[in-house]
Amino acid sequence: MTPVLTALGDWLHATALGRAAAGGVPWLWAACETLHFIGLALLIGCVTVLDLRMLGVAKGLPLAPLQRLMPYAVLGFLINLATGVTFFAGAPDQYTDNGAFHLKILFIALAGANVALFYVSGVAKRIDALGAGEDAPVLAKMVAATSLFLWIGVMYWGRMLPFLGDAF
Amino acid sequence: MHAFLATIQDSAISTWVRESSSPWAYPTVLFLHTVGLAILVGLNVAVDLRVLGAARRIPLAPLGRFFRLMWFGFGISTVSGLALFAANATTTAVNPTFWVKMAFIALALIDMRAMRRRLSDPSGRLLAAASLLFWAGAITAGRLLLYFGPDLGALALLQRIGQ
Repeated sequence: MTPVLTALGDWLHATALGRAAAGGVPWLWAACETLHFIGLALLIGCVTVLDLRMLGVAKGLPLAPLQRLMPYAVLGFLINLATGVTFFAGAPDQYTDNGAFHLKILFIALAGANVALFYVSGVAKRIDALGAGEDAPVLAKMVAATSLFLWIGVMYWGRMLPFLGDAF
Repeated sequence: MHAFLATIQDSAISTWVRESSSPWAYPTVLFLHTVGLAILVGLNVAVDLRVLGAARRIPLAPLGRFFRLMWFGFGISTVSGLALFAANATTTAVNPTFWVKMAFIALALIDMRAMRRRLSDPSGRLLAAASLLFWAGAITAGRLLLYFGPDLGALALLQRIGQ
Protein backbone atom coordinates (compact mmCIF):
# COMPACT_ATOMS: atom_id res chain seq x y z
CA MET A 1 0.00 0.00 0.00
CA THR A 2 2.87 2.36 0.86
CA PRO A 3 4.26 2.90 -2.72
CA VAL A 4 0.82 3.85 -4.07
CA LEU A 5 0.25 6.21 -1.14
CA THR A 6 3.72 7.71 -1.57
CA ALA A 7 3.05 8.48 -5.25
CA LEU A 8 -0.37 9.92 -4.42
CA GLY A 9 1.11 11.91 -1.53
CA ASP A 10 3.92 13.36 -3.65
CA TRP A 11 1.43 14.52 -6.24
CA LEU A 12 -1.08 15.96 -3.74
CA HIS A 13 1.63 17.67 -1.70
CA ALA A 14 2.70 19.65 -4.79
CA THR A 15 -0.83 20.91 -5.50
CA ALA A 16 -2.21 24.22 -4.22
CA LEU A 17 -4.16 22.26 -1.58
CA GLY A 18 -0.97 20.59 -0.38
CA ARG A 19 0.89 23.88 -0.09
CA ALA A 20 -2.06 25.51 1.71
CA ALA A 21 -2.32 22.63 4.21
CA ALA A 22 1.46 22.55 4.75
CA GLY A 23 1.35 26.00 6.33
CA GLY A 24 0.59 28.25 3.34
CA VAL A 25 -2.79 28.96 4.92
CA PRO A 26 -1.92 28.87 8.63
CA TRP A 27 -5.43 28.34 10.01
CA LEU A 28 -6.41 25.64 7.49
CA TRP A 29 -5.13 22.63 9.45
CA ALA A 30 -6.95 23.58 12.66
CA ALA A 31 -10.12 24.43 10.74
CA CYS A 32 -10.06 21.03 9.02
CA GLU A 33 -9.51 19.24 12.36
CA THR A 34 -12.62 20.93 13.71
CA LEU A 35 -14.66 20.12 10.60
CA HIS A 36 -13.40 16.52 10.70
CA PHE A 37 -15.04 16.09 14.13
CA ILE A 38 -18.25 17.84 13.06
CA GLY A 39 -18.40 15.51 10.05
CA LEU A 40 -17.76 12.58 12.41
CA ALA A 41 -20.74 13.52 14.59
CA LEU A 42 -22.99 13.89 11.53
CA LEU A 43 -21.89 10.62 9.92
CA ILE A 44 -21.75 8.38 13.00
CA GLY A 45 -24.88 9.94 14.56
CA CYS A 46 -27.18 9.39 11.57
CA VAL A 47 -25.77 5.92 10.81
CA THR A 48 -26.06 4.87 14.48
CA VAL A 49 -29.75 5.84 14.67
CA LEU A 50 -30.55 3.57 11.68
CA ASP A 51 -28.24 0.75 12.86
CA LEU A 52 -29.63 0.75 16.40
CA ARG A 53 -33.23 0.67 15.13
CA MET A 54 -32.39 -2.32 12.91
CA LEU A 55 -30.88 -3.99 16.00
CA GLY A 56 -34.12 -3.40 17.92
CA VAL A 57 -33.55 -0.12 19.81
CA ALA A 58 -36.41 2.47 19.64
CA LYS A 59 -38.64 -0.02 17.84
CA GLY A 60 -41.42 2.58 17.79
CA LEU A 61 -39.66 4.09 14.77
CA PRO A 62 -40.77 2.95 11.28
CA LEU A 63 -37.73 2.25 9.10
CA ALA A 64 -38.57 3.93 5.77
CA PRO A 65 -38.40 7.53 7.08
CA LEU A 66 -35.22 6.77 9.03
CA GLN A 67 -33.47 6.02 5.75
CA ARG A 68 -34.19 9.63 4.78
CA LEU A 69 -31.49 10.62 7.30
CA MET A 70 -28.82 8.89 5.19
CA PRO A 71 -28.10 11.92 2.93
CA TYR A 72 -26.92 13.71 6.11
CA ALA A 73 -24.61 10.78 6.89
CA VAL A 74 -23.24 11.06 3.34
CA LEU A 75 -22.73 14.80 3.88
CA GLY A 76 -20.76 14.01 7.05
CA PHE A 77 -18.67 11.48 5.12
CA LEU A 78 -17.93 13.98 2.33
CA ILE A 79 -16.85 16.62 4.89
CA ASN A 80 -14.47 14.08 6.40
CA LEU A 81 -13.20 12.91 3.03
CA ALA A 82 -12.41 16.51 1.97
CA THR A 83 -10.75 17.41 5.28
CA GLY A 84 -8.96 14.04 5.41
CA VAL A 85 -7.53 14.53 1.92
CA THR A 86 -6.39 17.98 3.07
CA PHE A 87 -4.40 16.47 5.98
CA PHE A 88 -2.91 13.88 3.65
CA ALA A 89 -1.96 16.53 1.06
CA GLY A 90 -0.42 18.76 3.74
CA ALA A 91 1.76 16.13 5.42
CA PRO A 92 1.74 12.89 3.38
CA ASP A 93 4.86 11.55 5.12
CA GLN A 94 2.87 11.18 8.32
CA TYR A 95 0.46 8.77 6.70
CA THR A 96 2.01 6.85 3.81
CA ASP A 97 3.99 4.45 6.00
CA ASN A 98 1.66 4.58 9.03
CA GLY A 99 0.04 1.24 9.97
CA ALA A 100 -2.86 2.95 11.73
CA PHE A 101 -3.58 4.93 8.54
CA HIS A 102 -3.56 1.76 6.41
CA LEU A 103 -6.02 0.12 8.80
CA LYS A 104 -8.21 3.24 8.85
CA ILE A 105 -8.43 3.17 5.03
CA LEU A 106 -9.14 -0.59 5.14
CA PHE A 107 -11.96 -0.11 7.67
CA ILE A 108 -13.49 2.73 5.60
CA ALA A 109 -13.36 0.47 2.51
CA LEU A 110 -15.03 -2.36 4.45
CA ALA A 111 -17.70 0.05 5.74
CA GLY A 112 -18.29 1.08 2.11
CA ALA A 113 -18.59 -2.59 1.07
CA ASN A 114 -21.05 -3.11 3.93
CA VAL A 115 -23.18 -0.19 2.69
CA ALA A 116 -23.04 -1.67 -0.85
CA LEU A 117 -24.19 -5.04 0.55
CA PHE A 118 -27.04 -3.26 2.34
CA TYR A 119 -28.38 -1.84 -0.93
CA VAL A 120 -27.37 -4.56 -3.44
CA SER A 121 -28.71 -7.45 -1.36
CA GLY A 122 -32.12 -5.77 -1.26
CA VAL A 123 -32.03 -5.42 2.57
CA ALA A 124 -32.49 -1.65 2.29
CA LYS A 125 -35.63 -2.18 0.27
CA ARG A 126 -36.98 -4.96 2.50
CA ILE A 127 -36.65 -2.96 5.69
CA ASP A 128 -38.39 -0.02 4.00
CA ALA A 129 -41.63 -1.94 4.53
CA LEU A 130 -41.07 -2.29 8.28
CA GLY A 131 -43.37 -0.20 10.44
CA ALA A 132 -43.29 0.68 14.13
CA GLY A 133 -42.70 -2.33 16.38
CA GLU A 134 -41.61 -4.69 13.60
CA ASP A 135 -38.41 -6.70 13.84
CA ALA A 136 -35.69 -6.34 11.16
CA PRO A 137 -34.54 -9.52 9.34
CA VAL A 138 -31.34 -11.26 10.50
CA LEU A 139 -29.29 -10.03 7.51
CA ALA A 140 -30.27 -6.41 8.31
CA LYS A 141 -29.15 -6.94 11.91
CA MET A 142 -25.83 -8.35 10.73
CA VAL A 143 -25.28 -5.37 8.41
CA ALA A 144 -26.16 -2.99 11.28
CA ALA A 145 -23.81 -4.65 13.78
CA THR A 146 -21.01 -4.74 11.19
CA SER A 147 -21.57 -1.06 10.43
CA LEU A 148 -21.31 -0.04 14.09
CA PHE A 149 -18.17 -2.16 14.56
CA LEU A 150 -16.48 -0.76 11.44
CA TRP A 151 -17.23 2.91 12.14
CA ILE A 152 -16.01 2.59 15.73
CA GLY A 153 -12.93 0.93 14.23
CA VAL A 154 -12.43 3.86 11.84
CA MET A 155 -12.48 6.22 14.86
CA TYR A 156 -10.05 3.94 16.71
CA TRP A 157 -7.46 3.87 13.93
CA GLY A 158 -7.92 7.60 13.40
CA ARG A 159 -7.12 8.25 17.05
CA MET A 160 -4.13 5.88 16.89
CA LEU A 161 -2.54 7.79 13.97
CA PRO A 162 -0.18 9.85 16.17
CA PHE A 163 0.64 6.95 18.50
CA LEU A 164 1.26 4.00 16.20
CA GLY A 165 2.71 6.27 13.54
CA ASP A 166 3.98 9.82 13.86
CA ALA A 167 0.95 11.80 12.66
CA PHE A 168 -0.86 14.30 14.83
CA MET B 1 -5.12 26.22 43.72
CA HIS B 2 -1.99 25.48 41.75
CA ALA B 3 -0.78 23.12 44.49
CA PHE B 4 -4.10 21.28 44.35
CA LEU B 5 -3.92 20.93 40.54
CA ALA B 6 -0.30 19.81 40.79
CA THR B 7 -1.34 17.11 43.28
CA ILE B 8 -3.92 15.81 40.82
CA GLN B 9 -1.43 15.93 37.98
CA ASP B 10 1.25 14.11 39.97
CA SER B 11 -1.04 11.31 41.12
CA ALA B 12 -0.20 7.79 39.97
CA ILE B 13 -3.14 7.51 37.58
CA SER B 14 -2.53 10.94 35.98
CA THR B 15 1.13 10.14 35.49
CA TRP B 16 0.23 6.77 33.94
CA VAL B 17 -2.28 8.34 31.51
CA ARG B 18 0.24 11.03 30.53
CA GLU B 19 3.54 9.18 30.44
CA SER B 20 2.94 5.46 29.98
CA SER B 21 4.04 4.14 26.60
CA SER B 22 1.17 1.62 26.76
CA PRO B 23 -1.45 2.05 24.02
CA TRP B 24 -4.03 1.57 26.82
CA ALA B 25 -3.00 4.83 28.47
CA TYR B 26 -3.34 8.21 26.71
CA PRO B 27 -4.30 6.85 23.24
CA THR B 28 -7.16 4.70 24.56
CA VAL B 29 -8.47 7.42 26.88
CA LEU B 30 -8.50 9.80 23.89
CA PHE B 31 -10.28 7.16 21.75
CA LEU B 32 -12.95 6.68 24.44
CA HIS B 33 -13.41 10.46 24.58
CA THR B 34 -14.12 10.35 20.83
CA VAL B 35 -16.55 7.42 21.15
CA GLY B 36 -18.43 9.34 23.86
CA LEU B 37 -18.57 12.37 21.55
CA ALA B 38 -19.87 10.26 18.66
CA ILE B 39 -22.68 8.78 20.78
CA LEU B 40 -23.64 11.95 22.66
CA VAL B 41 -23.24 14.57 19.94
CA GLY B 42 -23.96 12.24 17.01
CA LEU B 43 -27.33 11.04 18.29
CA ASN B 44 -28.24 14.55 19.47
CA VAL B 45 -27.43 15.98 16.04
CA ALA B 46 -29.59 13.33 14.32
CA VAL B 47 -32.52 14.22 16.60
CA ASP B 48 -31.86 17.96 16.07
CA LEU B 49 -32.01 17.47 12.29
CA ARG B 50 -35.37 15.68 12.53
CA VAL B 51 -36.81 18.37 14.81
CA LEU B 52 -35.62 21.02 12.33
CA GLY B 53 -37.54 19.30 9.52
CA ALA B 54 -35.22 16.67 8.02
CA ALA B 55 -36.84 13.26 7.30
CA ARG B 56 -40.15 14.70 8.47
CA ARG B 57 -41.98 11.37 8.50
CA ILE B 58 -39.91 10.07 11.41
CA PRO B 59 -42.31 10.16 14.40
CA LEU B 60 -40.86 12.35 17.17
CA ALA B 61 -41.99 10.52 20.32
CA PRO B 62 -39.96 7.28 19.79
CA LEU B 63 -36.80 9.36 19.31
CA GLY B 64 -37.03 10.03 23.05
CA ARG B 65 -35.55 6.54 23.49
CA PHE B 66 -32.18 7.80 22.29
CA PHE B 67 -31.78 10.33 25.10
CA ARG B 68 -30.76 7.63 27.59
CA LEU B 69 -28.02 6.58 25.16
CA MET B 70 -26.90 10.19 24.79
CA TRP B 71 -26.41 10.35 28.57
CA PHE B 72 -24.47 7.09 28.34
CA GLY B 73 -22.20 8.76 25.75
CA PHE B 74 -21.89 11.74 28.11
CA GLY B 75 -20.79 9.34 30.87
CA ILE B 76 -18.00 7.93 28.66
CA SER B 77 -16.91 11.44 27.68
CA THR B 78 -16.93 12.66 31.28
CA VAL B 79 -14.90 9.79 32.72
CA SER B 80 -12.34 9.92 29.88
CA GLY B 81 -12.39 13.72 29.97
CA LEU B 82 -11.63 13.77 33.71
CA ALA B 83 -8.64 11.49 33.06
CA LEU B 84 -7.40 13.78 30.27
CA PHE B 85 -7.86 16.83 32.52
CA ALA B 86 -6.05 15.18 35.43
CA ALA B 87 -3.12 14.20 33.20
CA ASN B 88 -2.43 17.88 32.43
CA ALA B 89 -4.38 19.62 35.19
CA THR B 90 -2.02 22.57 35.80
CA THR B 91 -1.97 23.68 32.16
CA THR B 92 -5.56 22.78 31.21
CA ALA B 93 -7.12 24.61 34.15
CA VAL B 94 -5.53 27.92 33.11
CA ASN B 95 -6.36 27.47 29.42
CA PRO B 96 -9.29 29.79 28.57
CA THR B 97 -10.22 27.60 25.59
CA PHE B 98 -10.93 24.73 28.03
CA TRP B 99 -13.45 26.86 29.94
CA VAL B 100 -15.06 27.99 26.68
CA LYS B 101 -15.49 24.29 25.85
CA MET B 102 -17.01 23.58 29.31
CA ALA B 103 -19.44 26.51 28.88
CA PHE B 104 -20.60 25.22 25.48
CA ILE B 105 -21.06 21.69 26.89
CA ALA B 106 -23.09 23.04 29.84
CA LEU B 107 -25.35 24.98 27.45
CA ALA B 108 -25.71 21.97 25.13
CA LEU B 109 -26.69 19.69 28.05
CA ILE B 110 -29.25 22.15 29.43
CA ASP B 111 -30.63 22.38 25.88
CA MET B 112 -30.72 18.56 25.59
CA ARG B 113 -32.69 18.19 28.84
CA ALA B 114 -35.18 20.84 27.73
CA MET B 115 -35.57 19.20 24.32
CA ARG B 116 -36.35 15.80 25.80
CA ARG B 117 -39.53 17.30 27.24
CA ARG B 118 -40.45 19.46 24.22
CA LEU B 119 -39.73 17.10 21.33
CA SER B 120 -43.11 17.67 19.66
CA ASP B 121 -43.45 21.27 20.83
CA PRO B 122 -42.92 24.18 18.37
CA SER B 123 -40.26 25.60 20.73
CA GLY B 124 -38.29 22.40 20.04
CA ARG B 125 -37.06 23.87 16.76
CA LEU B 126 -35.30 26.77 18.46
CA LEU B 127 -33.76 24.34 20.97
CA ALA B 128 -32.60 22.06 18.12
CA ALA B 129 -30.95 24.94 16.24
CA ALA B 130 -29.26 26.12 19.45
CA SER B 131 -28.14 22.54 20.17
CA LEU B 132 -26.31 22.31 16.81
CA LEU B 133 -24.62 25.64 17.57
CA PHE B 134 -23.57 24.64 21.12
CA TRP B 135 -22.12 21.29 20.03
CA ALA B 136 -20.26 22.91 17.11
CA GLY B 137 -18.85 25.39 19.66
CA ALA B 138 -17.84 22.62 22.07
CA ILE B 139 -16.12 20.63 19.29
CA THR B 140 -14.33 23.72 17.96
CA ALA B 141 -13.07 24.72 21.40
CA GLY B 142 -12.05 21.12 22.08
CA ARG B 143 -9.98 20.91 18.92
CA LEU B 144 -8.42 24.33 19.49
CA LEU B 145 -7.33 23.43 23.05
CA LEU B 146 -4.08 22.09 21.60
CA TYR B 147 -3.35 25.28 19.72
CA PHE B 148 -3.96 27.70 22.57
CA GLY B 149 -2.49 25.60 25.36
CA PRO B 150 0.43 27.20 27.17
CA ASP B 151 2.61 24.15 26.55
CA LEU B 152 1.97 23.71 22.84
CA GLY B 153 1.36 26.74 20.66
CA ALA B 154 -0.07 26.79 17.15
CA LEU B 155 3.31 27.85 15.82
CA ALA B 156 5.00 24.70 17.10
CA LEU B 157 2.42 22.56 15.34
CA LEU B 158 2.65 24.49 12.10
CA GLN B 159 6.42 24.20 12.14
CA ARG B 160 6.02 20.43 12.41
CA ILE B 161 3.64 20.39 9.44
CA GLY B 162 6.00 22.54 7.40
CA GLN B 163 8.87 20.09 7.73
